[in-house]
Amino acid sequence: MIEVRRLNLVLGNFRIDNLDLVLEEGVYNVLLGPTGSGKTLILESVIGLRNFQSGKIIVGGEEIQNLPPERRGISYLPQDLALFPHLTVRENLLYGLRAQKKSFGENDNHLGRLIDALKIGHLLGRYPQGLSGGEKQRVALGRALAPSPRLLLLDEPLTALDPSLKSEIQQLLISLHRSLKFTALYVTHDLEEAYLLGDTITVLIGGRVEQSGGREVFLRPHTIKVAQFMGLRNLFSERVLQVEGGGRCITVSFCGREITLPSDHAAGSLSVGEDVVLYLRPEEVLVVREGKPIKESLRQNILVGEVVRILDRGTHRWVLFRPLGLSVHLEINLPNYVFRNLALQEGQEIRVAGRRESFWVIPASSASTPN
Amino acid sequence: MNFKKTAVYAALALFLFYAVLILSLLTFFEGQSFLEVLLAPDTLFSIRLSLLAATIAMLLAVAIGLPAAYALSRASFPGKKLVDTFLELPMIMSPIALGAALLIFFNTPVGATIQEKGVYFVFEFPGIVLAQFATIAGLATRLMKTALDEISPRYEAVARSLGSSAWGAFWKITFPLAFRGLVSAMILCWAKAVGEFGATVTLAGTMSFKTETMPIAIFMALASADIRKTIILILILAGIGLSALYAVRFAEKRPQIL
Repeated sequence: MIEVRRLNLVLGNFRIDNLDLVLEEGVYNVLLGPTGSGKTLILESVIGLRNFQSGKIIVGGEEIQNLPPERRGISYLPQDLALFPHLTVRENLLYGLRAQKKSFGENDNHLGRLIDALKIGHLLGRYPQGLSGGEKQRVALGRALAPSPRLLLLDEPLTALDPSLKSEIQQLLISLHRSLKFTALYVTHDLEEAYLLGDTITVLIGGRVEQSGGREVFLRPHTIKVAQFMGLRNLFSERVLQVEGGGRCITVSFCGREITLPSDHAAGSLSVGEDVVLYLRPEEVLVVREGKPIKESLRQNILVGEVVRILDRGTHRWVLFRPLGLSVHLEINLPNYVFRNLALQEGQEIRVAGRRESFWVIPASSASTPN
Repeated sequence: MNFKKTAVYAALALFLFYAVLILSLLTFFEGQSFLEVLLAPDTLFSIRLSLLAATIAMLLAVAIGLPAAYALSRASFPGKKLVDTFLELPMIMSPIALGAALLIFFNTPVGATIQEKGVYFVFEFPGIVLAQFATIAGLATRLMKTALDEISPRYEAVARSLGSSAWGAFWKITFPLAFRGLVSAMILCWAKAVGEFGATVTLAGTMSFKTETMPIAIFMALASADIRKTIILILILAGIGLSALYAVRFAEKRPQIL
């Protein structure tokens, strides 16, 4: 296990206060946050390239915060890859093994497997300038993994790539991680990348860990800041109306109606009268067909309203819906085949509903969490 | 006339200005006496003295200037801006003023003690080296800093994460990548040291066969109205300087890698 404990760091006006971070071994950990959230500062602190005011960095039970970078056993892959341009691919790959005085014999199998997995055997005699973008990425990964580091830190290495190359390298990272089981800390601001690559995802906003967990982070944000950073739509300011069954169920207002949800659909325990933000995933909104029977569980939250706008987003249709008599809007993502079957038109009156399991409740107080 | 043409004419005008200056020397140039002056013992001594002193001064400037340049390029420390500003002092200060400051320093109790218990600088060979060092050290540091600034610090960060010490990362990564820039800086500083006059004449004097460097020999020949010798010495000095500058261009033009 790799831990960052109570890290305090001040840089100009930016502060990181008592930050705790736990990285599971053999896991692809993603540190996700907007630009300026302090991701790179944390990464540099872990490598040993930045001094911090106080805190501990523990790798496998050993405190390493006082060790120089070369003795931490942490490989670093920066955004620009920083392949050594005066060294061949072979020399780049062997750099770490030579610097750490590791015998090549001992690592032959590992290095050979790495070269095979990365498909860079034919590039060994070439210099980085002559490589394509994808080849550079693969060589940089090989160089970072060759000395078998305890932790691999990747600082947004895919940011500058075009979409097809990005997808190729993402697949490579996934398969490489499956076969080598290295521990990675991947820093990114890209939501899609974090969702695709991350076994665990830590959301960092304003130098503070807002939420950690698996992919449910994207579906069940614990704070409004996380929800806003994720760009989530259909966030409604509502109120807790009732808490029943010893806290097992909560009833929340929803566009003038009431909806009862299991309490595990809320981020934390809630009390009656508490202001909350209700989130309904746009892809989970159902458009109710005329004449079709409606499930009892859906009757409670059917909204009648008008289709305001329809946009073709390529992979799906985006429908903007306004409930009758209300000034709020609901966004709906419909698969193209569903849209075609429904034959929706702008201005058309329709009925929509959300499944109970598609709702998520966030305490409104989470918006004012102090940094 | 468009902007680009105007700029080209300005460049040509500058070239002509210097070319005319050099060509004007040929007005009084006597070819048959060139070898005679070049091979004269005092000329050969001056050339040897200038090259030796400039080489030592340049090596000293690199020995101190390279770590200083690294610190200014990579590190943050209190007083960095002040140090950076002081490095430009020799570039804006008259060389004679610099030589005079050195001369006055060796008349202070500290300076006098250095001379009595260590090395004599005033009117001696070490004085030439010191005067040249004082003139070029700031420039050397500035030029080497520029060369280091061009190399991303991330190379070193990666090298250190892979197991290199700070020194190892510099030696194996940054130094080879900045090598051409550093060599260019060394050659330019060496050439400037070879042509240094003001500080040297003030601190080391004009003693024949002792402290008479090439620029001082030119000054002495001119002072004694020996135009023929003056011109030949100027041409030799210009030849050394232009060769050095050509070497810089050659170093810069070679492909970066391979």
